Amino acid sequence: MFKRFLAVALGLILAVTCFGCDEPASGAELTVTVVVAGGLGDRSFYDSANDGLQRLMEDYGVNGNVIECKEDASMYQLQLVQAAEQSDFVIAVGWQFWDALNEVAPMMPEVKFIYVDEAVEGIDNIFNIKYAQNEGSFLVGYVAGKMTQTGKVGAVGGMDGDTINDFIVGYKQGAEHANPDVEVLWNYAGTYEDPAKGKECALALYDQGCDIVFQIAGKTGDGVFNAAAETHNFAIGVDSDQKYINPDVIICSMIKQVGSSIYQTIANYIEDGTWAGGTIWTANMETGLVGIGYGDDTMTQQVSDELKAEIEDIMAKIVSGEIVVDTTRN
Amino acid sequence: MLETVLAILQNTLRSATPIILAAMGGQFTEHAGIMNIGMDGIMLMGSFFAVLASYYLASAALGVLAAILIGLLMGILFGVLVIRFRSDEFIIGVALNIFAGGVTVFLLRTIFGVAGAFADPAIKALPYVSLDFLNDVPFIGPLLNNNSILVYVSWLLVLICWIAVYKTPFGLRLRASGEHPESLRSAGVNPNKLKYISSMLCGMLCGLAGAHLALGYLTQFSEGMSSSRGFIAFACIIFGRANPPKVFLASLLFGFMDALALRLQFVGISSNLSGMMPYIMTVLMMVYVVVTDNARKSRTLKLNAG
Repeated sequence: MFKRFLAVALGLILAVTCFGCDEPASGAELTVTVVVAGGLGDRSFYDSANDGLQRLMEDYGVNGNVIECKEDASMYQLQLVQAAEQSDFVIAVGWQFWDALNEVAPMMPEVKFIYVDEAVEGIDNIFNIKYAQNEGSFLVGYVAGKMTQTGKVGAVGGMDGDTINDFIVGYKQGAEHANPDVEVLWNYAGTYEDPAKGKECALALYDQGCDIVFQIAGKTGDGVFNAAAETHNFAIGVDSDQKYINPDVIICSMIKQVGSSIYQTIANYIEDGTWAGGTIWTANMETGLVGIGYGDDTMTQQVSDELKAEIEDIMAKIVSGEIVVDTTRN
Repeated sequence: MLETVLAILQNTLRSATPIILAAMGGQFTEHAGIMNIGMDGIMLMGSFFAVLASYYLASAALGVLAAILIGLLMGILFGVLVIRFRSDEFIIGVALNIFAGGVTVFLLRTIFGVAGAFADPAIKALPYVSLDFLNDVPFIGPLLNNNSILVYVSWLLVLICWIAVYKTPFGLRLRASGEHPESLRSAGVNPNKLKYISSMLCGMLCGLAGAHLALGYLTQFSEGMSSSRGFIAFACIIFGRANPPKVFLASLLFGFMDALALRLQFVGISSNLSGMMPYIMTVLMMVYVVVTDNARKSRTLKLNAG
């Protein structure tokens, strides 16, 4: 009975997805599973990945699934295997999957893995996407350095590791580029899931005299916005354009278009079979996938038009190589 | 320097409050001889329903009330399972935590249609309280003033709980229900009744702790936002031997370690190291409890032998 029901249900799903699109049928035959290390709803990194998947489902009719590991390290490997067994593409979103991918990918050579935010080298069925978050962070650091009244700006990191520190070095360099006397302070919450802790981290920075704090901590960062509103200071969003969350305190966001990078990779495969397994693609400022966002015109704008123009200028200089942004990665 | 000390102490009070509120509930069940590790889950339910009611009814007070009510329901559920059906309290506690984690995620996604976190200007936050005369007192003024209202309620509750447990007939019976239920039965009182009451009180106070987290500390709900604070509260109850003022001090100590750990990062101590401090503290506390317990036992043995 259940099998018959399943067959009918699957048939219906196939029918609906095929009638709904005039794209080549190859999209509808693809099953793409996004496995995120944390949970959806961070309104930043993971949600952006999910957004990319949703667009693939709309535009190409791929069968998409999302699996959340909720920061439970014991789930990483299990969920990757689970996803790989039923998918053509498995997208592992989060540096946390490094060990699990090293184990799982060689065992399942027919499945194509996309590793987002870190890189595993030398395995042919893993395509790695890394982001030049240091370049995006340089821009928001520059804004913070120009706009601070106290001469101190801060950042709240999720965890003390290479990826988060890559944001911080870029941010620091950007702030110092804008204002050589600026002091940059930061701390780590030690979690991506505890907004109350994020609030305390931000309050500690505001206490130290910072008036702008950059959140690099996923859901923990929600607490940073809370603290900014309460102490009448400013904050900077991360990964997605987060200004809409509280336009009065969030002056801009560092943007890392995780969703678009996933979308492009899979779309290329569907269009002409391009697949560069075993390589690393760094989505940098040149690709347009890393940058800065100021929300839309309906929101209060704290960043002046002159400063925005300066930022454009700096973006061009980063692309041309005139400004080389520090990184924790080689 | 003085400013840093002040900032650390302010942070201590804020971080400790959700723990104090939950621990004041948990000490009731502890006295009644029930090990309640479901506090974290009840807190989480409290947070969700506080936000739900505050958002739809546009009143923080009703949010708090909703949190207390859901806590009461969870407390009754826990009581029925553990007291009436004699299930293992450890398993039930774990089950409550998992249940709360799942059901809040489910409700968040179905009711609000968002995943992860729900924050909206329409959620009414609890008021902050300031007393004018305290503003003129240096150090103490800024420390005590301008906290969320439930911070002060938590201090009051410590006093009320202490009186209730140690100075009233109810408290005597409550403690007897845990330590020596037979004596209570011989006095014509049903110990299970007191166990039920303790479980209900615990649920209500954990719900209140959740309301503070979601409407006082922050103004939002996010999945898993209790972040194991219920377990820290449990550790404080054990450390303070369920004596409200001692439990209060243990909670403050935890808040202090948390606050200190955050500031130590500014002087170049790795966050990975400083982040462990509250947990190292837990281990030390437990060692202290075991050592003093053993000392006490051997003392009684000697007395009995003499």
